[in-house]
Amino acid sequence: MSSGIPLPRGESADRRFSSDPVEETSAIRYFLGVDVGGTFTDVVVGDTDGHVATVKVPTTPDDPREGVAAGVAEILRAQGVGPRRVSRVVHGTTLAANVILERKGSDVAFVTTEGFGDMLRLGRESRQEEDRFDLFFRPPVAPVAHGLTFEVRERVDSRGKVLVEPDVSHLRRVAAQVAESGARSVAIECRAALPAEAYVVTSSEVWPEVREYERAMTTVMCAYVGPVMNRYLAGLQDQLAAIGLRCPIEVMESSGGVMSASLASRRPVYTIESGGAAGVMAAAFVGRLIDANEVVSFDMGGTTAKTGIVRQGRPDVTHDCHVGGVSTAGNRRAGSGYPVKIPVVDLAEVGAGGGSIASVDSGGALRVGPESSGSVPGPACYGRGGAAATVTDANLLLGYLRPGKLEAGVSLSEELAAQAVRQHVAAPLSLPVPAAARAIHDVANATMASAIRVVTVQRGIDPRRFTLVAFGGAGPMHAVELAEMFGIDEVAVPRGAGVAAALGLITSDLVVERARTWIMPLASARPSEVAAVYEELERHAEAELPSGREDLTVARSVDVRYRGQAHELTVPAPSGPMSAASLEELGRSFGARYRDAYGVDLAAPTELVTFRVRLVRQVEKLSPVAHALARRDADPALAGHRPVWLGGSHGFVECPVYGWEKLAPGSLVTGPAVVEGPDTTVVAPPQSSVHVDRWWNLRLRRSTGPPAARDGRL
Amino acid sequence: MTADVAETITAQVVRSALAVAAEEASIVVVRSSHSTNIQEGADAAGALLDASGRLVAQSAATTVMHSASLRFGLVSLLEEVPVANMRPGDVYALNDPYRGGIHANDIMVLRPVFADGRVRWFGGTLVHVADMGGTAVGGLGSVATDTYAEGLVLPPVRLYVAGHPNGDVLGIIERNSRTPGKVVGDVQALVAGANVAAQRMEELVERYGADELDRQLDELMEYTEHRFREELRRVPSGTYRGGFTIDSDGVTQGKSFDVATTVTVDDGAIVVDFAGTSAQSDGSINASISQTWSGVVYAVRCYVDPSVPMNEGCFRAIRTVLPRGSLVNPIPPAACGGRVVTVTAATEAILQALSSAVPDHAVAASALIHVYTLTGHRDDGERWLTMGYEFGGIGARAGEDGPDATGAYFLGGRSVIPQIEPLEAQFPFVAERCRIVPDSGGAGRWRGGLGVELALRMTGPAELSVRGDRIGLPPPGAQGGAPGGAGCFAVIRTDGTEELLRPKQQHIPLFAGDVFVMRTSGGGGLGDPTTRDPERVADDVRDGRVSPQAAGSVYGVDLDGSGRASRGSGR
Repeated sequence: MSSGIPLPRGESADRRFSSDPVEETSAIRYFLGVDVGGTFTDVVVGDTDGHVATVKVPTTPDDPREGVAAGVAEILRAQGVGPRRVSRVVHGTTLAANVILERKGSDVAFVTTEGFGDMLRLGRESRQEEDRFDLFFRPPVAPVAHGLTFEVRERVDSRGKVLVEPDVSHLRRVAAQVAESGARSVAIECRAALPAEAYVVTSSEVWPEVREYERAMTTVMCAYVGPVMNRYLAGLQDQLAAIGLRCPIEVMESSGGVMSASLASRRPVYTIESGGAAGVMAAAFVGRLIDANEVVSFDMGGTTAKTGIVRQGRPDVTHDCHVGGVSTAGNRRAGSGYPVKIPVVDLAEVGAGGGSIASVDSGGALRVGPESSGSVPGPACYGRGGAAATVTDANLLLGYLRPGKLEAGVSLSEELAAQAVRQHVAAPLSLPVPAAARAIHDVANATMASAIRVVTVQRGIDPRRFTLVAFGGAGPMHAVELAEMFGIDEVAVPRGAGVAAALGLITSDLVVERARTWIMPLASARPSEVAAVYEELERHAEAELPSGREDLTVARSVDVRYRGQAHELTVPAPSGPMSAASLEELGRSFGARYRDAYGVDLAAPTELVTFRVRLVRQVEKLSPVAHALARRDADPALAGHRPVWLGGSHGFVECPVYGWEKLAPGSLVTGPAVVEGPDTTVVAPPQSSVHVDRWWNLRLRRSTGPPAARDGRL
Repeated sequence: MTADVAETITAQVVRSALAVAAEEASIVVVRSSHSTNIQEGADAAGALLDASGRLVAQSAATTVMHSASLRFGLVSLLEEVPVANMRPGDVYALNDPYRGGIHANDIMVLRPVFADGRVRWFGGTLVHVADMGGTAVGGLGSVATDTYAEGLVLPPVRLYVAGHPNGDVLGIIERNSRTPGKVVGDVQALVAGANVAAQRMEELVERYGADELDRQLDELMEYTEHRFREELRRVPSGTYRGGFTIDSDGVTQGKSFDVATTVTVDDGAIVVDFAGTSAQSDGSINASISQTWSGVVYAVRCYVDPSVPMNEGCFRAIRTVLPRGSLVNPIPPAACGGRVVTVTAATEAILQALSSAVPDHAVAASALIHVYTLTGHRDDGERWLTMGYEFGGIGARAGEDGPDATGAYFLGGRSVIPQIEPLEAQFPFVAERCRIVPDSGGAGRWRGGLGVELALRMTGPAELSVRGDRIGLPPPGAQGGAPGGAGCFAVIRTDGTEELLRPKQQHIPLFAGDVFVMRTSGGGGLGDPTTRDPERVADDVRDGRVSPQAAGSVYGVDLDGSGRASRGSGR
């Protein structure tokens, strides 16, 4: 099934994917991005000339590779692209997260230092949130059975001094036990090396950072997911080769970089937030395109909405990730779920999406989400048997979506939506149906606003000068009001907003990040010693990047803390040789960051804790074609009028509806108006305007003037 | 848009804004705290309150130990400092257990929020600070006999006057702490958190106006009360009794203490009467009123949907009777630093009473947190100090085994055990093991959770203080279940001699090579162990929770060579 976004016809020489590829003589190469979501698999193809086309096919949950292969074959056929001319395939996958959440990984043998075999099942002895009031709560299940846990007699102290030397015959005995245990993979959380033929992961390779439980869990999760990921990627490579593709697969990792399939197989936990990262990278890409240095990424799907921050083209990254954990207002909570210490795009995720269910509780409060109607049965208006009232139903009744519009292969029914909203919200609250629909819409907005608050205000970031980049099928319908809540003036909706995450895949570079803990007081740290730590990290990291002629950039950073504190802040470190002055500068920038974060100046001794390097190999990627601008009337794109609820004193207002694909770069639409794309809708309230920019993105401003020209570009 | 829908939306938006503001205040405090255990355990709180002393919103990510603390602290502040005397930019601090406080180390900060020229609300924060003086470093005065021995007591004092730091008060706090830098840093964090709460409140005023906001708060409390009472109506009306016995107070030889409760549930209202509770102790296990209330509110909330927001509405359906001069309402200057012993006994007593009201929701008793402090001096003369803890097993529940070593009930907080490596990097010890203790879960048809054993080998000299309970009298079983295995504190000296410590003991000298061992108790079992499903016993043996011997002797289950279970002849 193809529901690709039609390529808009601009007035520039808009060269299509040629139906008649000139093989070797042509220099044009193609990049494929494939993002597997819960409901749809999105495929995007871009070329070296900057053209883009997309296709959406159903996800095949039993084996997502079938959907991927079908989507790839379809888009190549539709666009007439010869498979051999595809130079990159970048994959966004939720496989690692699914394997962990659904407990479908391999049996792992866990080998650790004597005395600490219970580390995984004790965890941090924590109890989260609602669990604290639940006398019948169940702690999370340890990922490794007691019978597969093995202790080794060895010990190293915090300075790296060997306290107990491992005995070789003892190690052999343990290795033999591991071999007999039947485990499919082995996670080793100590320095002693064990011979084994299984899939072996050592914590010193995966993430050699202080804090044993988190490091061990990260290692175990790698071992747990590794064999599955390995088989999956190898099989996918074969399937794509059968279609004729020659290039190796790359996978998006959680911090927005791309890694080779072989590294993804060795360190699969790095792909835990692959999909979420792809979305933020799409926002980063759009931000670079439109010269917006500071961007709030807002991705609203069917079940959840995700927010992130991009500054100067790079997403904010955290090392605090918990798979299957609890969150408050979208902020993941330490101590819950399985911690993995990998770099992850700093996302806040809340249970508000198009399918989120609205209900009224016993005290008369309206709630929206986190329960979702999913894709089956879906919102009531889908007519697939869903009885619950959802955000999509509300948006349909408010005129934001067009009655009868085709979505997910069904025609949206206003009648069914009204029935559900009346029964579950309007009647219990004694409200008219449109008012109930508006309440649902606004409560969803309040929930999503908390996710924006988490990544901005709570992190000490003032969002007012940011651009909100909104995507995902439902995002653009809510984005303008959210922008207003935070005093954000400009909203950008990328062309192909419904499949934007896939676009993020083919606009990213190859990245490897490594870290190593070595605690040293800043005052007595030797510059040569610090430089040596970095050089070693950089050597290892470079060896893990696929080789290439492209530019390699290295970013160093270090976690610093005041002595006696438990948590560090990461500050950038200079590259190249270190000097006493550069160490002093580290101390100063830490002090400044601490003041920014906590508003407090401290004159305490500081410690360097964990050294980090991030290597980026710039690779050839999509650079979209910019069309010529022509101040053009939007009238030819006018598709009709329909009543849209504009709230406040307006109520329902008959609004003009424009077709996105019929608008052209330079077109201007003045609110109130609706701009309808094939997979998303933008509502422009009164006192706002929408421009179509050079890349066919919609640029909405909350005033009637044209968007501020940045460097003369639009 | 109709008035009704605007109302619905405003209410929802205001409620979520209040919750987020309280949370944000606590995040500021926790993140900039100078103590590992505070950061990891979130032994802190953030709250919004109003000028009549009502709790408006409370942080959820912090420990539930402080459910009522700030609310009572504000009531005391208002009694002593009329709002008319407060000025914009004033910030107050207090920690007096007899003025709504807890003990010297828990400092509360309250900042008035003005609108239309008068005080309408307060932003409040609370955190456990590293050291406030007293006989024990780090405030673990487990054998303190009055508040004077527990550290510097602050009645309501002004930390900031009209926006300017009050150097006199800060100086006193600094001069009375063994860790002055940390305490001042913590106090600054408290102020920063209270400022955030106040600022968010001001933003709401700007948007909705002060009167509309107050009306929203009234409605929020009414909504909460309505839901709270409705949930309580699911508990059958009646009068139920429950009690819990405390091992010792650490200073009175051979004496145990009882916390007795009579719980009356009547159509959405609940009365908890502590008549019959032992007189206050000469030691530190006394619970000030705010702490007893925190325990009561917590225990009752275990029978209420946790999505009911925490505010004044939760308090309205509850009444307590707290006999004056008893453990749960002591007379000054009784020491209060070990109040967790009594408060958790109170929650166990209430849970036991309500277990008889709702038998299919019955629970057996759990182990208590074991706490230690280690302190000494670095080579450069600076003092080092760490407070650590481990949890024990949770009691079995009707139809479910108890979880192993987890923050039981009230102490569940967000409490998370710090990892060992960062501690080893800072302090002179090496952890030898941290393991669950087989067979420590109370036997029963449903088994209690297991305790844990931590062993630290010192690499330099240190001074140790400990506090635990439910050791001499380990957590009892219920309905025929056995008590959990008893924990202990011990020191193994380099010559191999083993010194068993008292459950509450201070100032124990340790030397390089000594091993400090701390073992928490297991939770109580529920129901007759010989009626336990043999398959579950076999699983327990396979998972190392029950020894093959105990499987036979306690559960009457025989296991064959491949681990298959059969009911034995019964012994």
